[in-house]
Amino acid sequence: MTEFRYANVEREMKMYGFDRMVKSTCRGCHGGCGVYVYVKDGKVAKIQGDPDHPINHGTLCSKGLAAAEIAYHPDRLLYPVKRVGPKGSGRWERITWDEALDTIADRINNYREKYGPESIVFGYGTGRENEAVIYRIANLLGSPNVLTAGHFCYGPRICTSIITCGTNPIIDYENGPKCIIMWGNNVTISNPDCYKGEPFSVALSRGAKLIVVDPRLTRPAARADIWLQLRPGTDAALALGMLNVIVNEKLYDKEFVENYTFGWDEFVKRVNEYPLEKVEKITWVPKEKIQAAARLFATTRPGAIQWGVAIEQQINCADNDRLLMFLMGLTGNIDAQGGQVLYKTPPIVNVGQFGAHAMLPREQAAKRLGGDRFRLAARFAIINPKSVWDAIIEEKPYPVKMLFFISSNPVVTRDNAKEVYKALEKVEFMAVADFFITPTAELADIVLPAATWLEMDYIGDFWKRHGYILARRKVVQIGECRSDHEMLNDLAHRIGQGQFWWDSFEGGLDYILEPMGMKWRDFKEMDYVRGEVRYKKYKEFGFSTPTRKFELYSTTLEKMGYDPLPQHREVPESPVSTPELNKEYPYILITGARQPGFFHTENRQVKWLRGLHRDPIVQIHPDTAAKEGIKEGDWVVIESPRGKIKQRAALFPGIDPRVVAAQHGWWFPEKKESNHGWDESNVNILTDNAYEGCDPAIGATNIRALLCKIYPYKDGGLK
Amino acid sequence: MKKYALKIAEAECWGCKACEVACKQEHKTSVDINFIKIIEEWGKKEDGSPDFIFRARICRHCENPACVDACPVEAIRKRDDGIVILDSDVCTGCGSCIEACPYNAISLDESQGKAKKCNMCYHRVDNGLIPACADNVCLAHCIYFGDARKIDKMIEEKFWLKARIEGKLSSQIIKVED
Repeated sequence: MTEFRYANVEREMKMYGFDRMVKSTCRGCHGGCGVYVYVKDGKVAKIQGDPDHPINHGTLCSKGLAAAEIAYHPDRLLYPVKRVGPKGSGRWERITWDEALDTIADRINNYREKYGPESIVFGYGTGRENEAVIYRIANLLGSPNVLTAGHFCYGPRICTSIITCGTNPIIDYENGPKCIIMWGNNVTISNPDCYKGEPFSVALSRGAKLIVVDPRLTRPAARADIWLQLRPGTDAALALGMLNVIVNEKLYDKEFVENYTFGWDEFVKRVNEYPLEKVEKITWVPKEKIQAAARLFATTRPGAIQWGVAIEQQINCADNDRLLMFLMGLTGNIDAQGGQVLYKTPPIVNVGQFGAHAMLPREQAAKRLGGDRFRLAARFAIINPKSVWDAIIEEKPYPVKMLFFISSNPVVTRDNAKEVYKALEKVEFMAVADFFITPTAELADIVLPAATWLEMDYIGDFWKRHGYILARRKVVQIGECRSDHEMLNDLAHRIGQGQFWWDSFEGGLDYILEPMGMKWRDFKEMDYVRGEVRYKKYKEFGFSTPTRKFELYSTTLEKMGYDPLPQHREVPESPVSTPELNKEYPYILITGARQPGFFHTENRQVKWLRGLHRDPIVQIHPDTAAKEGIKEGDWVVIESPRGKIKQRAALFPGIDPRVVAAQHGWWFPEKKESNHGWDESNVNILTDNAYEGCDPAIGATNIRALLCKIYPYKDGGLK
Repeated sequence: MKKYALKIAEAECWGCKACEVACKQEHKTSVDINFIKIIEEWGKKEDGSPDFIFRARICRHCENPACVDACPVEAIRKRDDGIVILDSDVCTGCGSCIEACPYNAISLDESQGKAKKCNMCYHRVDNGLIPACADNVCLAHCIYFGDARKIDKMIEEKFWLKARIEGKLSSQIIKVED
């Protein structure tokens, strides 16, 4: 008889002759997966999931499995470089770390002196768990301007949950929810913050019911008990319709409502403004289906809502998040076992404290770009990207002279890409830290070689809300690459912040762990630490909100001058709001569905991952394709009032014929001219970033539903 | 006699393609060669609305493999333990096996002029290791490896689920009888 075990380290070591195995935590996307990293001859030779890790239970996605291919890629930037030709020329010269950091420090010191620290904007995209160090250096410098994706990605969940129930409610998959709504999300592909696909999948294996809200037939939608195929951008109306059913059929948790909510009467009045006939008209979802979904969710407990970023990249961002929290709350699932828990992180210096927000002088915080307009965002140190481009191009309300992007590729990821490009071409000085020379880095003055997760010590997930902190251990050193944390620690000393930083960043890790009475060298010996798990804490302490209640009526938003109750706002560009435009642009364009292997703009140079999808794909219903003369695999022009791009057609029956779905994040590392074809298939050539179309409170840009036309591509068709 | 099987519960596959990359990590095949490939297959639900499922294109290690008979140079053989192995050193790249395979699971590696397919990671299996794609990579836990005589039962019972709920998948033992 032969016995086999998963991830059998002993046999792996013996068979392949590996020299050592290091346990660590992946950060190929939003992080958190426990891994075994095998090393041979000083190089990472194999990556395997840790079967006993509480986050991934040994399973690992394509990005994690390909991490060594990324780290050892022949195009990887291995030392600092400075640009020696015009922007976008691709001409770079190797420099030392000292020259690079001294140049950046000189610029910071000069601009701070001449234009004020607010003229220097730091930025990160979806991050490398570098948010704490980036905010720290900016706040200590006195710049209130850190450009993140926080206005429309995860940040809104944090802000709106803090004002509604104190913290972000995370699904207790471990204790088997019996009904799951997957709303604008496909966790089996996307791994959104605080979640992995595996626990969701296991919940279904344990027999959970599933309701999916999505304009496209995803595989979860195909497996769902109920699929609500809504008109893109009408999530708020749909949620209000479901709440209408739950309220009027008295399916809610009465004890919770009576004792722990604030604003019930006003809330009931608001949901009664959304009868199902009206909601059906807005959302295209038959009212019987809305009713059935509301009943199933409200009566199958514990239940949970698996959400993600799609509902946030809309004009209704903050209200969408709040409405889904209301669905969790009214059904008795908030802080309930098997429902959605307000987890406690272990006692550490949290990301806000580490970020030194308290050290930013009030008068500097008041200068936060866009802070007058997007007041909820400003409260949480979040800015809208257009406000940065405006400050560069028009120098209003003051000039921005320097950008420092760390793990960010805004030329491809930010809405209205032409405007972004113009701003980056104009800005006086730009530094970038990344793995590769991206289309954004091509416009920089200095590019710094950033370390991947294989090359750093760090406390993984310490900013998340799932209650775990995880050990990430440095496995190898590659070239002269440094972690974002190490490079900013070094830079901080060169701009007069030395007293607030450390000799090496290990000191920063010790600082985070200090309240636990632990040092990094102690934590390194462990795999993870979990905070104390308790349910229904609000029964003892109330919720951490101004009223100590679960706020259906937001006293915070009211004070800021916003509608305290959630509402449906029509998307700025739609058959309803712009019927005239709709005649010329007859289809609703949705963007950004995640692809396995890619992490936004990342990994398109990695063969194993690019092999999963060679070309950008636009999904079109077969009837629509026939009408427009488009065949499977054809290159198609997608045109919006902002511009045009091309992607390849995939005929897809699982979408409404009035809707087409384009991919995001596309550039072509293999194209050496025209800045890697940054504008050929980049969906953000099509998206809009006008302030009027953004969520009024959090400043989320509406990039998930716009209007377009499509037609077959011919040579030169993008001119 | 030992009998190995690798089987995929396709109804549970989410299409994340981690198995494809786990295979690449093990075999470093060129970009066009996938021993395992996940593809969409469209159909209709009972009510006539569109539906789809993910299918895995991979060698089934057939009981009576058509590829073995088709190969003119005996590069493909079925071992006593059930694993069907294509030996690239012997293969002449004639393509007969590709034609013969009913599962479209063999491809021609044009850079080498050789046919390639999944050999069930026999080099791992012979060293007591689970094939790369089945080694708990799959987030749906839907790639099963084990005793051919028991594999359908393993799938039906989701044999891994109890150990998973207890958080100790490393303690799960897969036994293959002699």
